[in-house]
Amino acid sequence: MSDHAKPKKTPKPPKAHGWMAEYADDNQLLDAARKVKDSGYTRIDAFTPFAVHGIDEAIGIKPTALPWFTLCAGFAGLTVALTMEYWMNAVDYPYIISGKPYASWPAFIPVAFELTVLFSAFTTVFAMLGLNGLPRFSSPFFSNPKFDRTTDDRFFLWIGSSDKYFNSEKVQSLLTSTGALSVEEVREDDSPSDIPKPIIFAIIAGILVTLIPGAIVLNMRNAKSGESRLHVFFDMDFQPSRHTQTSTAMFADGRVQRPPVPGTVARGELGATDPYTLGYDPSQTVSTDSATAAAKLVSFQQDGEVAGDESKGAEASETPAVEPSETEPTDAEGVAAEEVTADPGAQPAADEAAPAAAAGVPNYAWLTELPVEANGELFELGRHKFEQHCALCHGYGGYGNGLVAQRAAELAQGYWLQPANLHDQAIEEQPVGRIYYTITHGKGKMGSYAASLTPEERWAVVAYVKALQRSQNAQPSDIPTRGDIAQ
Amino acid sequence: MASIASPAIDNTIDIPGRRTPLVLGNQTYASVTHMVARISEEAQPAIWWIAFAIAFPLMLMFGGLIGYLILTGVGVWGNMSPVFWGWPIVNFVFWVGIGHAGTLISAILFLFRQNWRTSINRAAEAMTIFAVICAGTFPGIHVGRAWLAFWLTPYPSLNLWMWPQFRSPLLWDVFAVGTYASVSLIFWYMGMIPDLASFRDRSKNKWRRMVYGLLCLGWSGSSRHWMRYEKAYVILSALATPLVLSVHTVVSFDFAVSQLPGWHTTIFPPYFVAGAIFSGFAMVLTLLIPVRAIYNLKDLITPRHLDNMCKIILATGSMVGLAYTTEFFMAWYSQNPYEFFTFWNRAFGPYWWAYWIMFSCNVITPQLFWFRVFRTNTVIMWVVTIFVNIGMWFERFVICCTSLSRDFLPSSWGYFSPTWVDIGMLVGSFGLFTTLFLLFCRFLPIIAISEIKWTISQHAHSEHRYKHGHEHH
Repeated sequence: MSDHAKPKKTPKPPKAHGWMAEYADDNQLLDAARKVKDSGYTRIDAFTPFAVHGIDEAIGIKPTALPWFTLCAGFAGLTVALTMEYWMNAVDYPYIISGKPYASWPAFIPVAFELTVLFSAFTTVFAMLGLNGLPRFSSPFFSNPKFDRTTDDRFFLWIGSSDKYFNSEKVQSLLTSTGALSVEEVREDDSPSDIPKPIIFAIIAGILVTLIPGAIVLNMRNAKSGESRLHVFFDMDFQPSRHTQTSTAMFADGRVQRPPVPGTVARGELGATDPYTLGYDPSQTVSTDSATAAAKLVSFQQDGEVAGDESKGAEASETPAVEPSETEPTDAEGVAAEEVTADPGAQPAADEAAPAAAAGVPNYAWLTELPVEANGELFELGRHKFEQHCALCHGYGGYGNGLVAQRAAELAQGYWLQPANLHDQAIEEQPVGRIYYTITHGKGKMGSYAASLTPEERWAVVAYVKALQRSQNAQPSDIPTRGDIAQ
Repeated sequence: MASIASPAIDNTIDIPGRRTPLVLGNQTYASVTHMVARISEEAQPAIWWIAFAIAFPLMLMFGGLIGYLILTGVGVWGNMSPVFWGWPIVNFVFWVGIGHAGTLISAILFLFRQNWRTSINRAAEAMTIFAVICAGTFPGIHVGRAWLAFWLTPYPSLNLWMWPQFRSPLLWDVFAVGTYASVSLIFWYMGMIPDLASFRDRSKNKWRRMVYGLLCLGWSGSSRHWMRYEKAYVILSALATPLVLSVHTVVSFDFAVSQLPGWHTTIFPPYFVAGAIFSGFAMVLTLLIPVRAIYNLKDLITPRHLDNMCKIILATGSMVGLAYTTEFFMAWYSQNPYEFFTFWNRAFGPYWWAYWIMFSCNVITPQLFWFRVFRTNTVIMWVVTIFVNIGMWFERFVICCTSLSRDFLPSSWGYFSPTWVDIGMLVGSFGLFTTLFLLFCRFLPIIAISEIKWTISQHAHSEHRYKHGHEHH
């Protein structure tokens, strides 16, 4: 720093700061210090390489107030911690954790303890430095090269020129009489105490540079911009997935929405190609448009491609996914046609005369035999389910005279359609698959029972209906002979 | 260094009626300054460069792996249901445990007037800081989105509009480890101030003088400064003593406050603290045995220091062994089937190998230190400390992984397997730790010069009184 001394300053000798004596040992220092203190001097200090015990009394150092700083900081830390915890968890953002009360004082103890220690420790160190006047990078002693050994192996005793009994000659002779290795005058450090201008500029420039990022952030916060935000790391709500109804270059067809992967089964459509769940065999049903579509569906779901069209890929595979829904066999027009042809109040033989296709029921390859084993258990299940779901309208005997039908007849409302008599010849002639289809999809006023009955239960009901029909139209020859029973 | 020919004193033996010297070889104040300061003034020995050439790339690898983790996600670790606390937490607890020795030596041994601490406290404190740096890294990156780790601090957030949950041990941990790291750092730095002034005053080079002059804050050695400094040191020791015990207690709460068998136990705080001191002293010895050989500090870090540390390792190792057996006793005595299964599973389940590595390294190997011959042989001592380090890592692994991998529901049991990233991060954290320690040796006073001088002075006074007393008889 002395390089920056202004040349115009007159080379006047610096003011005296006192005298210092050098010792090789802490014992010599202590003896000398006691002697100096006994001579009445108060502006004295010792400089030592380590904390010499006994020097405090020897030169009359008063105890420090440092512990009070620590105590206050400790209370401050404790108060801050407990207030913070209480306010944050019980007042500003209260919520229950592990069934503990909002103000869970026992759980607040660890953080309160840590902050007490944190505040006290930092205050202790900074108060120590502050009371010592540190950092202080210049001192009258530092200008003497001998003084460098104070942090090595030399002990110095100093009598200040500000002492009220200070007399340069007397002090010098007193110190010499203590057996000092050397006695030297200490002069004030006259090097300029101003911080050199380049350093000030550097500090200002540094502060300005550190302000730039903050200024940019502030500007960005207040300015409007059409640009999307910069994300170094994406938050969880910010995902790189594409929005619906947009395009992408990732797929050949440019569409973001993808068809289901081959073999996908829609919810509730498990076994959609299985005669067991359909009541007909879709692979043999090729005569109508809807049947063609069903065949395509089978092909698509089994192979992932439209039959006979292997080259088109993803785009082509969209087609069958749409068509089956359009060709839903219970299409509204068909049902409506059936209802119109039915004559209210008349015997329910209306649709029996019309061809099945005209009534809106597709001409499928109906199953003619039960796809399940017909045993007593099945019939018993079928009876149970029939009486539960069917008998209300169709009657326990299947004549279309259930309780609901009787009540409707009593009310004699014009729009009531008489439930079908299951013993009509047309119904009796229906293959089992057709009856199953009716139960599954409903017919006329009758709704679908697919949600109420599993396929197995439906087949059980079909078996029971068949058994019911047979029982009501039995011939004497149907009665088993004794021989048959014996077998 | 020329010194007066002295008879070879074995200072591991106490001489009745006399104070055993803590510094050998007729040291003077100047010789102590020189012996410590020359380490940073002279060119480093070849072995320093070799160690640095190994440790520094490992540190860079650690940084690279953290970058890889942040860019990819925590899936690069082996953490998988049900073991969500895998190696990152094992490493965290391991390093935090090691970080206990420094402050213990500085604070607790200071309060107990154990003057032998003066030769080892500086290096141990430095080791503490570096271990806590390694430790703090792991939970920081374990939070998943490491760039949002600052959400752990209670700050008024514009985005969250909520506050941390002060009933969680994990948040206590943030405060405990944060306080411990910062208080240890400032304690370490304050202790170095007079020694940095020694470095400054020995500097021949203007820049070196300026840098050390800034670092020592213009320390002049004034008695008034020393008085406040000493007072501050006592107060800090009194503050750091409960602090050092609280840190691993809070770390153990991370486990003990949960409901998991093997974790939910009141023995954890003392058991963790004993283990931490145990591993910390082992690491201090692992570092100081080579350091005193390389830098020829055998007169300052004497056999007596090593001997004392071995005794502490023996004591704390036996405490840890007692904790292990107490856990088993409680598992049986509690008659809790889950608790019993957990401990049976630790010793004889799929992780039996980890358990027995832990048990043999931590409980059996330190028993060698009952014998003086092992407490004075630095090679055997060093090997034992390595075993202790290994054993203490496995202790944390056993606690973390065995309890999590098999809890109440057998259907959700699993087996933890680390990935190469897990292994790389453990190795890399050692690289970070070693690099920092090597730089510390290179640039800072690795022994508390002023405190050693004080013990020399004390010894001179006691010898004086001893001789004086004899004359009177």
